[in-house]
Amino acid sequence: MPAFDSSSDHSGSLLESHRGYDPRIVFFYFILAGMLLTLAIGLGYQQLSKVGEYDHAERQQNQRRVVVPGPRGNIYDRNNKLLVGNTHRFSVVLHLDELKGEIEKMRWQIRRNFVAASGKDDLPRTSQIEQISRVTLVQSYLDQLNAILHRHEQVDSRALRRHFERELLLPYTLLDGLDDNETARLLERLPVNSPLQVYAAPTRWYPYASAAAHTLGYVRPDAEVEAEGFPGADLTTFKMKGTTGRDGLEKWFDSHLQGVAGGRIFRVDPTGYKINPPLEQRAPKRGNPLVTSLDIDLQLIAEEGLGDQKGAAVAIDVATGEVLVLASKPDYDLNEFSPRATKAVVEKMNATGAWNNLAMNGFYPPGSTFKILTTIAGLRHGTIKTDEPLVNCTGYMKVGNRLYPCDVGNGRHGHVLLRDAISWSCDVYYYEAGLRMTPDVLAAEARRFRLDHRTGIELPNEQSRMIIPDPAWKKNERGTSWVPGDTANVSIGQGDVLLSPLQMACFVASVARNEVYTQPTLIHRPDAPRQQHESIGLTPEQRIAIIEGMEGTVTNPRGTARTINLPKLRIPGITIAGKTGTAQVPGRKNVAWFICFAPAENPEIAMAVAVEGDTAGEDYYGGTYAAPIANAVMAKYFEKKNNAAANLVTPAKSP
Amino acid sequence: MTLGLVVLMWLLIPTAIKRFTRATFFELTAPLTIAASYARDLQEYWALRMHSNRELIEAGRDLARLNASYELAVQQNTTLQGEIGRLQELLALPSFTDFRYEHARVARRELSGWWQRLVIRKGKNFGIPVGAPVIFTGGVVGRVTEVHATTAVVELLSSPELRLVGVVEGDTRPISFQGGVNPTFGAPTAVVEFVPLDVIANRNVTKRLVTSGLGVFPAGLTLGVITKLELGADGLFQSGEVRLDERLSALTEVTVLVPLHHD
Repeated sequence: MPAFDSSSDHSGSLLESHRGYDPRIVFFYFILAGMLLTLAIGLGYQQLSKVGEYDHAERQQNQRRVVVPGPRGNIYDRNNKLLVGNTHRFSVVLHLDELKGEIEKMRWQIRRNFVAASGKDDLPRTSQIEQISRVTLVQSYLDQLNAILHRHEQVDSRALRRHFERELLLPYTLLDGLDDNETARLLERLPVNSPLQVYAAPTRWYPYASAAAHTLGYVRPDAEVEAEGFPGADLTTFKMKGTTGRDGLEKWFDSHLQGVAGGRIFRVDPTGYKINPPLEQRAPKRGNPLVTSLDIDLQLIAEEGLGDQKGAAVAIDVATGEVLVLASKPDYDLNEFSPRATKAVVEKMNATGAWNNLAMNGFYPPGSTFKILTTIAGLRHGTIKTDEPLVNCTGYMKVGNRLYPCDVGNGRHGHVLLRDAISWSCDVYYYEAGLRMTPDVLAAEARRFRLDHRTGIELPNEQSRMIIPDPAWKKNERGTSWVPGDTANVSIGQGDVLLSPLQMACFVASVARNEVYTQPTLIHRPDAPRQQHESIGLTPEQRIAIIEGMEGTVTNPRGTARTINLPKLRIPGITIAGKTGTAQVPGRKNVAWFICFAPAENPEIAMAVAVEGDTAGEDYYGGTYAAPIANAVMAKYFEKKNNAAANLVTPAKSP
Repeated sequence: MTLGLVVLMWLLIPTAIKRFTRATFFELTAPLTIAASYARDLQEYWALRMHSNRELIEAGRDLARLNASYELAVQQNTTLQGEIGRLQELLALPSFTDFRYEHARVARRELSGWWQRLVIRKGKNFGIPVGAPVIFTGGVVGRVTEVHATTAVVELLSSPELRLVGVVEGDTRPISFQGGVNPTFGAPTAVVEFVPLDVIANRNVTKRLVTSGLGVFPAGLTLGVITKLELGADGLFQSGEVRLDERLSALTEVTVLVPLHHD
């Protein structure tokens, strides 16, 4: 019998039987400790090391960022009348990102329908079923709107596909341009948490509709904005479209007018709905205002005078070069570009040629208005004397083998002096002057007035189709030699000479200031200094002769603009110095011109008006068709000036 | 484990069955709700019986004055309605949207961070439709959102789920009105959006917001008082806060406007 080993007796109490140094227990202690340590390290790692990552993921999951463009700055006329502002445009948008589940269901439903109808073999492609389900679902939402507004709108499937492919995070616009009544009905009847939401988008507003359309320009909603300095660039961001200037001042001063984008960061619940108030927000800021040199009252008068005719009118402040009027017809209603011009509007503009800013880019032969330049060239060259008749006008003049007529009907001007040559617009006088001084002198004088350059006005797309012809130009462009007839033509602003109304307005403003250059500007500065450039270089006597000749155009009984000297049109106390022109464009419609400034003795305002005739070959006299428009603008200018003076209150003197 | 199974089963049950179950539960508990409200009415009745004769006499006198003023208002309304009818006929104008008035007792109030609504003691049995406007002497109460056999649920103005269109008194431009986030015992508030920039309101200079008449509500009913406005994120409009009538949380009787012509 083996000896009894008390150490192997396990029948005692539990305490006695449990030995702390049991290797198996110790082994498990280590395992347990190892597991706890692993958990602790894991917890520490997750909570401390990856806290940034989790914080980022949490932000990504439950925060949304919305970037809203700042409204553009307003545009005013020189008297602070609003020319371009902002207004709202109500639309209904559908948040497509909230439709994921519904689209999935719809896709299975449509697939089942196809299988039931035509079996599995004729199933459309997956992408087709996807598109069908999207259109069907969006149409169902549109039908909700149709029911409330009693409309019959259909989903544009192409636009919808494009939106899904490119702009899924942005809401899709279902209806646009809602009026207040429709907006109110939708606000009340659409469920608050519906993916359909009423949205107010900023849009440009033009209170004067088509007035100064080419000058003001338009915008297009095509730019995505970024809120510089606004946090949350890493979040899911919804960006509302901004606008970019596409023409006129809106384009030229786009960066000045652009607002500063703002934004909000919202916390959203698990279903994606925002929780107010926002975590971060920055209000967008309106862009800078722009005060233009335009005077909308004068602009409206000029446009009313042009009416349905094709043409342009430009008025310039003589001292500063500020453009008071820049009118071009035909034009277009700028509000039709907000938010985007329709196809019908574009086609109508294409048909009428309303795109073209004729004031700046309408290049016509200046006709007899060019005789002022010929006069200056002749006086400086010594060809023309103020008190000597240059030629005996018999109604025509033979140049080379051709007879060049004087536009005096069946009569004749006889031995005409400079003043009358200007007032009566004697062509023969200027044929002779041009032939004596040579075409190079004429062209050089025109270039001295910078008529061969763009004016540099603050508008985009100013063209350089102006032509100041001379023998070198003709040889280069046409490949033929200059003939005396070319000189005769150029001396009366015919032939190949082409200038714009804006150029002619700058020219006559320069003449009014007795200088060779006027820099036009569309920006109004109340303290703008008087422009100062090179003097024309005439003697006082010569200058007086030109101005009196131009006055005679209006006041002389045979003056070519005597129509505006009729009592009912005459501006009390104001003498206008002007020059008419009737430019003949072979095979095309003639152009009636009038350039002028007033008051003749101390010029304040200078103008150029050009109106195209409506029938080819028809006489279209500047004195009849263009001068009254300029006269009406000037009448308004001096009326406003006198009223302003009358309204000034004389300050009381100190005792 | 059991809870997980219940949740799983609930998720797997079709939506139609869930809706049916919910409606059935509501109808099942409706008699209890109504009975509780009747018990409350009885409690109030006995509470009133406890007042002294002097208090009752004073209350009766006040009531008589109030009745007199209301009778005068009713007469003026009758005269004005006659004049409106005459002008409509004269100018061949379409008549205003007509409503039938259905007065209802409040059976239950659910005012919390989750719900801001009332249950009233009338439903399909009185022809009350979903969407019907509900008013009281202080203006708009809310809209009917659910209709059951003998009860209806009214979403209060203070609920974020309710959106209306209002106008500033004396103005015609529509403003979006929506209930705010209201705690259980807090003063009811709402928010407004699309407020034109030229409208000025603050705690010192408040503006009364009334229904526009462009939606389902007749024009001119008080929604609340605008107490704060700030420039909205888009820079085109202002948004702000509206103080609502504090009686909204203690209503005992309301009037449902039942449209006679369905749009």
